[in-house]
Amino acid sequence: MEDTLFWSRLQFAFTITYHYLFPQLTMGLAWIIVYFKWRYLRTGDETFGNAARFWARIFGINFAIGVVTGIPMEFQFGTNWAGFTKFSGNLIGQTLAMEGMFAFFLESALIGAMVWGEKRLGPRNHFLTTVGVALGSWASGYFILVTNAFMQHPVGYSVADDGSLRLQSLAAYLLNPWALIMFLHNQCAAVVTGSFVVAAVGALYALRGKHSGQASLFLKTGTLVGLCACFLVATPTGDQQAKMVAKHQPVTLAAMEGRFHGGSNAELNVIGQPDEDQQRIDNPLYLPDALSILAFGHANSSVQGLDDFPKNEWPTNIELLYYAFHIMAGLGTLFILLMIIANIQRWRGRLEKSRGLLWALMLAFPFPYIATTAGWMTAELGRQPWLVFRLFRTSQGVSDVVGGGNVLFTLMGFTGLYFVLGVLYLFLIGREIAHGPQTISSTIKLEVSHD
Amino acid sequence: MIEIWYAILTFMLIMFVVLEGFDFGAGMLQYLVGKTEAERRLVIAAIGPLWTWHEVWLVGFGGTLMVSFPNVMASAFAGFYLAFFLLLWALVLRGVALEVSGQIAEPLWRTGWHVVFVAANFLLAILIGTALGNIVRGVPLDANGKFALDFFTNFSPSGNVGILDWYTVSVAVFVIVIFAAHGATVLVLKTTGPVHDRSVRIASLLWKTILVLLAGITLESWHVRPELFSGMIHQPFGWLGLVAVAGGVPVIFTSLKNGRELSAVIGSGAFIAGLMTAGAAGVFPIMLHSTLAPENSLSAYQNAAAGNGLVIALVWWPLSLIFAVGYFTFIYRHYTGKVKPTEDMQTPY
Repeated sequence: MEDTLFWSRLQFAFTITYHYLFPQLTMGLAWIIVYFKWRYLRTGDETFGNAARFWARIFGINFAIGVVTGIPMEFQFGTNWAGFTKFSGNLIGQTLAMEGMFAFFLESALIGAMVWGEKRLGPRNHFLTTVGVALGSWASGYFILVTNAFMQHPVGYSVADDGSLRLQSLAAYLLNPWALIMFLHNQCAAVVTGSFVVAAVGALYALRGKHSGQASLFLKTGTLVGLCACFLVATPTGDQQAKMVAKHQPVTLAAMEGRFHGGSNAELNVIGQPDEDQQRIDNPLYLPDALSILAFGHANSSVQGLDDFPKNEWPTNIELLYYAFHIMAGLGTLFILLMIIANIQRWRGRLEKSRGLLWALMLAFPFPYIATTAGWMTAELGRQPWLVFRLFRTSQGVSDVVGGGNVLFTLMGFTGLYFVLGVLYLFLIGREIAHGPQTISSTIKLEVSHD
Repeated sequence: MIEIWYAILTFMLIMFVVLEGFDFGAGMLQYLVGKTEAERRLVIAAIGPLWTWHEVWLVGFGGTLMVSFPNVMASAFAGFYLAFFLLLWALVLRGVALEVSGQIAEPLWRTGWHVVFVAANFLLAILIGTALGNIVRGVPLDANGKFALDFFTNFSPSGNVGILDWYTVSVAVFVIVIFAAHGATVLVLKTTGPVHDRSVRIASLLWKTILVLLAGITLESWHVRPELFSGMIHQPFGWLGLVAVAGGVPVIFTSLKNGRELSAVIGSGAFIAGLMTAGAAGVFPIMLHSTLAPENSLSAYQNAAAGNGLVIALVWWPLSLIFAVGYFTFIYRHYTGKVKPTEDMQTPY
């Protein structure tokens, strides 16, 4: 049982982390492509048309890997987490089914035509298709975040005679305040990923002196959207998210901050290593009173520490949780600085000549992926030891008929398969970027006609 | 309410099998009907840009099963653990092969992905066939409503069974042939030239084979799960399914002979949908039959989700179905008719 639990957790963590590398770019790019399409429709300027086509091809490859790595997620609820499915399937199944029925049917119907069907559909319908895919990808994100928000902050349920949960109010479940804030926070982070990737490709072309029109457009769009998104991730969405954790999951906040002892005038640790044995932070660099102010608005507000809670309610991996949170917050701060500098240089008309800054923009694109992954690790490690916060422990949720060896086998299978997918993805995306934005004539020639 | 959700689940599974069934079938036949590179690309083009829409029916089925019968999902998915992951991996490989094979116009690249594609389609047909065979035959459910299936035990379809026995293997063979025949029938509709002519010959041959296999499978099922047939004739849906099967067969043969390609596809779809409807009606209300003791079986009546979650879901589900069909129609208008090779076959659709 212990083995099954450990390997099942690792398998879910691995497959969801890997999967989410793809949808975050899909969701981030979707509206940027809609913007390019819209400008193209309005102005007829081929720079926008080619930009839209180029990013749609990248989007298509990204989407395909996102789809195939997404299908195993839903099914793992049944295969590995049968106890959880029995306990709360009637609730979380609602949003998982809605995601399929409302979002996936929309995206899957339109994606092929969005990537390959510009000529066949005509400008207006092709624009609508692009908007439809963007809406579908964001709707899909919302349904999944409602599911996760229920696990973080359960609302809208009642308990049936057999101990399982039943849906009490669909509206309360779907409009969980946790879901609304997490959705905004998460979607802004996805736009950060998308805008950093667009800016990085622009910086690459500018540094190589190729596709100069596209380079300027990508740099302008990437840095402007990036600046707005970076601010919105931090405040109000990130700030509100943290306040919600402080209010509903105080033990999680204590662990995120490595706060072993409670009290007023809580400091905010910027750097330092949590030391569980000594119950302190080693080598701390901190801002006095800042945690009290951020969490509750006053310097002398009291913030609970881990020692205010029974030990069996502490998150199970405090060190990793602490680092995940600090990596996310630290990178988020650096992103804001980078984008402020890039935009100042752009307004002065110097961005494309500042080679150092272009190098930084080009090499910065992996870091939003790291930050979003760290953010999700904060949310999910912070929820432990609960599967549904304060209702259902993770250890109760695992499938008891599946042996640990079987789970290790499938985990190794996923590792191998996903390694191959990763190599394939990098190869194909690298090829598209090396090829660059095409002209319209060569795109159309590639179509297979249906008559 | 429980009957409605059982019907909805059956409907979604039928949609998946009928729609992806022809994708799988056409994919299996890629090298039989396509002798040149261009002809093999034509098969991919015939599967078309909507294959992900077809696959979403499976995802929708999973979520809907979780809403309506969470206990059944928990028991079945954990019990079929390894088989489920084989299915998922095959779906991953097939989807990737379909999407990336057209990305590079290089013979080695194309051949490599086409081989992965054909192999994954065969594996999927085997797995889906085996799964359907297991549902009809039953699984070794214990008194707690749990089971963990080995791949094989003693190849006998009673007592302590494994996933594979002589019955489930024969259902798998049956399903491979049905998918191939269904795929060939759709290729007849969607293609021209040599691919079309080969598909006509293959479809006629396979459908004749199916008639023989159907008689065999019926006898085997009678032996393995006799109550299937008594259940079928006591349910209106059972009769509906049997009528669709009986009506589908002559439509397929006469349509293929007379070149009425669309009605051949409709007949083929009706045949598959009819078999599944009759089967689902026959086993109702038992969703998972126990081969160890009948009282351990999971019945729809005892395992439906508690509370008013099912009523709430019945409000949004039909709405989402209308939307789903709407998106499909919006795009499919642009992709009707036959696919035709042009000078450059690089892009898949």
